[in-house]
Amino acid sequence: MSESTMSFGFSRPSASAEERITYEDVLRARDRLKVLETRAAKSSLRLLWLLAGPGVLVMLGENDGPSMVSYATTGATYGIGFFAPFILLTFVMAFVVQEMTVRLGAATHRGHAELIFQRFGPFWGYFAMGDLVFGNLLTLVTEFIAIQAGGLYFGVPSWASVAIGVALVVGSLAFRRYATWERVLMGLAVFNLLFVPAALLAHPNGAELTHALAAWGPLPGGFTTAFLTLVLANVGATVTPWMIFFQQSAVVDKGLTRADVPQGRIDTAIGAALAAVAAIATLVAAAPLFAAKVDVSQFANGADFATALVPLIGSTGATLFALGIFEAGLVAAMTISTSSSYSLAETAAAAEKASARHSLNLDFAHGRLFYGVAIVSTILAAGIVLIPGAPLLAMTLTVNVIATLLMAPALLLLLLLANDAEIMGDLANGRWANLAGGTIVVAIAVVGALYGVITAFPNLLPK
Amino acid sequence: MPYDPTLISALEPDQLVAATMRPLPRRKLSRGVLAMLIVLRVFILIAIPIVVYAFVHALLVLQS
Repeated sequence: MSESTMSFGFSRPSASAEERITYEDVLRARDRLKVLETRAAKSSLRLLWLLAGPGVLVMLGENDGPSMVSYATTGATYGIGFFAPFILLTFVMAFVVQEMTVRLGAATHRGHAELIFQRFGPFWGYFAMGDLVFGNLLTLVTEFIAIQAGGLYFGVPSWASVAIGVALVVGSLAFRRYATWERVLMGLAVFNLLFVPAALLAHPNGAELTHALAAWGPLPGGFTTAFLTLVLANVGATVTPWMIFFQQSAVVDKGLTRADVPQGRIDTAIGAALAAVAAIATLVAAAPLFAAKVDVSQFANGADFATALVPLIGSTGATLFALGIFEAGLVAAMTISTSSSYSLAETAAAAEKASARHSLNLDFAHGRLFYGVAIVSTILAAGIVLIPGAPLLAMTLTVNVIATLLMAPALLLLLLLANDAEIMGDLANGRWANLAGGTIVVAIAVVGALYGVITAFPNLLPK
Repeated sequence: MPYDPTLISALEPDQLVAATMRPLPRRKLSRGVLAMLIVLRVFILIAIPIVVYAFVHALLVLQS
């Protein structure tokens, strides 16, 4: 089926459709015109630059506050041995999963939430949306904990860091232009790599790192509850439901088409590679805590790690670490709140409330629900963080459980959609994509089940 | 807003907002897919109590 005929039975816009061209269409068409001109001029690098964004943002966005704390906890508890190659593997898994969302978005021009609603019906539509919005709200709380922690390291009061965070997240929505929002966030997301100089200041042993990557070891302590919990935390830090919803919606909002899928794949691969480097750098930066036998079990946030690292990697390294934690929370708050907006507005639109639109190209008058969800969830999450005595640590722990347990259903629905030849045409999953995707679903279902078992029976394995 | 056909032609027809507002038809589910979705519902019924338990457990552990 050719690109122009793959339109679910829709033909060229009729006269009445032409009258219904929206401002959102015009903005997207301007971006697409640049892409078409660049493709005609055969300028490959510029084409990649124009089409990159969703993949880099989703991968660096997932290197969020709790993820970086998970990597730091892992480095401080086990050193770099087993977990350096394991983290690399989780990003390969993330690439396999996210690549499917690129194809889905480019083939259908629909977001993930509306596609689930329309193809599988209201039960799964509302379930997927409700699960995501609830999980995202809890995750947003943890992002503001990271923002607060980063600020505390520099002596900024909690209320001030959180207020700055809210202002920046809400302010980013004021662009009312997808392309501008995306480029600003990509600029911010690059600071995720602050963990790389922090790792270098820990003076890592290159031979030890190479050996760890090749041999998957050493693994001090063996198979314990703590080890399994960190394995799950690292999986939960890399492959999560919000990423699926966000990237597909961003691909649609950016206007990617079937012809752009190769660049979408490269974008996702670059994002995965950058995020893996930042994640392993965090592991390496925290590894001196393992060598110094520092007990991190009572550490509550990234600021505790930064403070503990001062005598080991110096104040510059610790400062970079704290700044990285602040950035991780901020960028994730921006992307996660937007994924809630996309998901809720797409579900409302799919439920035939046609006024519910979903794009960062909308003005506020047409995007009240879309922008409202991001703003309200951001303010709510920030407010929870500032409540004295709020169960923040319990929330952080529960977020990981939710993310791991609910990833298997999200992945299964993704696989079913990616195999739906009626909407995907020649972009439907092939044998290898199904094998890789199926293996990941099974692996995540197994670790999710294990997590459930050790949660219910905490004394089953040695501590 | 004036209609500029040259600019709008940069979009594929099914990329237009008007086109994306038309719902896709419901998928006809095969027996295998239906069975998978039933298993998924069971998984969710088991997973939700675990999530609630994990949250309450974390709260109680932190308070004690």
